[in-house]
Amino acid sequence: MIEARNVVKVFTGRGQEVRAVDDVSTTVAKGEVVVVIGPSGSGKSTFLRCLNGLETFDSGHVIIDGKDLANRRTDLNKVRAEVGMVFQQFNLFPHKSVLENITLAQRIVRRRNKDDAWKKSRQLLKKVGIAEKEGEYPSRLSGGQQQRVAIARALAMDPKVMLFDEPTSALDPEMVGEVLDVMKQLAREGMTMVVVTHEMGFAREVADRVLFMDFGKLVEEGTPEHFFKAPREERTKLFLSQVL
Amino acid sequence: MTAAAQKLWPWKLLLAVILIGMAAGTWGAVNRIDYTWRWNRVPQYFVYQGEEPHKIPFDGQVTAIAEKGEKAVLTLTSDAGETVKRSIEADTLRVEEGEYLFEGDTVGFTTHWAFGPLMTGLWTTLWLSAGASILALCIGLLTGLARISKNYTLRGLAALYVEFIRGTPLLVQIFIAYFFIGTVFDLSRNVAGMGALAIFAGAYVAEIVRAGIQSISKGQMEAARSLGMNLVQAMIYIILPQALKRILPPLAGQFISLIKDSSLVSVIAITDLTKSGREIITSTFATFEIWLTVAAMYLIVTSVLSQLVFYMERRLAISD
Repeated sequence: MIEARNVVKVFTGRGQEVRAVDDVSTTVAKGEVVVVIGPSGSGKSTFLRCLNGLETFDSGHVIIDGKDLANRRTDLNKVRAEVGMVFQQFNLFPHKSVLENITLAQRIVRRRNKDDAWKKSRQLLKKVGIAEKEGEYPSRLSGGQQQRVAIARALAMDPKVMLFDEPTSALDPEMVGEVLDVMKQLAREGMTMVVVTHEMGFAREVADRVLFMDFGKLVEEGTPEHFFKAPREERTKLFLSQVL
Repeated sequence: MTAAAQKLWPWKLLLAVILIGMAAGTWGAVNRIDYTWRWNRVPQYFVYQGEEPHKIPFDGQVTAIAEKGEKAVLTLTSDAGETVKRSIEADTLRVEEGEYLFEGDTVGFTTHWAFGPLMTGLWTTLWLSAGASILALCIGLLTGLARISKNYTLRGLAALYVEFIRGTPLLVQIFIAYFFIGTVFDLSRNVAGMGALAIFAGAYVAEIVRAGIQSISKGQMEAARSLGMNLVQAMIYIILPQALKRILPPLAGQFISLIKDSSLVSVIAITDLTKSGREIITSTFATFEIWLTVAAMYLIVTSVLSQLVFYMERRLAISD
């Protein structure tokens, strides 16, 4: 479903070069849930953003469902419509109601008619558990509710893959659970997911595979059992000892 | 009465005293120069009763006069036996029954209300400003988008345009638009005047638009693009509506400025409110009254506009 091959992303600023993503290669199979962990500034978010072309990369290939993002002829808009993304800051459209947030892209990207789009939106709102808020504006919702709307908005495009960029980091602690529950349900339904998170519990419970990134490099990957019980690399051990 | 209102009243009193003092001072100063106020001359320049003469279309006779209240209906018969009827104001009747007239003789007048030069001037100012505002919005939107474009040439062109317009006086721009560009491309003074105003305001609108777009968080564009929208769709549906809401107050200020700046087009002989005022003064010498009236008229237009914007702002604020 996703194949990343030798992806390199360099940020240049004030004459300094930072290799934010440094030669990362991995694959994500259909239906697989991959969790990416690592200290802040390790390049995990940048790597995730390379997977739908929000961030351009300097070399390497990202192949989504057979389409290479590095190829200039690939229509990035078409690829992004198939790849849902959920952001740390939710990024709901503040000038649109909850229902409009979920409906807009269905109408103008998927070109669904109004009735179908509304039906789909309401179905998804029910799924994420806030059907009663469809007429509200995002500013009236709590963080957890906003993030669930954002998940519904991404799901409305019937994506083949969902990317989550620290979806619970901006939430108050008591709201983390409700968002994670929605994500767990998605995983159970067989959605292909790549999740950047600091929630080790989520990684342990839901992930099929865990990637550990540090200084832009993919340091170690493996199943949660292997990863949390018997990590090979020193840096992984150090990181885990700090967060667990 | 609340505590805050109680504390406020001395200041309100002070404000009133200062205003009255200024009015009295002005009054005293005007009295010293022996100026005769003639406010009664002003209303006729808003609306007046115009008289339209009615003439007999042939050589012939007045065969009948029938008075109906304030109107009088004349029956005119030509030498060839042709008859026409004319309805005029009874008190302007100039002929008698049986009188013989030649073609073109005036038989009487009808009166009608007409707008005076202050109103026609105001109308010119309004449509000139409205047209220039719409054009300025279009120019400003495109230039503002060009200013943040990834394309170097577009960015450069937009920056040069903004720099040139903001660095030269509007009056000079109007002269250039009319006497240089207008002559080369054979433009009417109205086109040149409206064009100059639009291009002038467009540069300022461009900066407002640019700042507005840049004030929308990057996450909005990313969220829109991540859903598969292209750049144009994301701009139209996500970024611009939010930016517009934010730039409404400065934009309104710009358009209010535009209405006031439009008075400068009177230098290329467009009869706007300001030029009408000047023309009235040359015939009445009621200098003080007319300029005060003209100022009040501008003030009314601009305050109506700012109230309108205030109302729109509140309407748009419902999603906050």
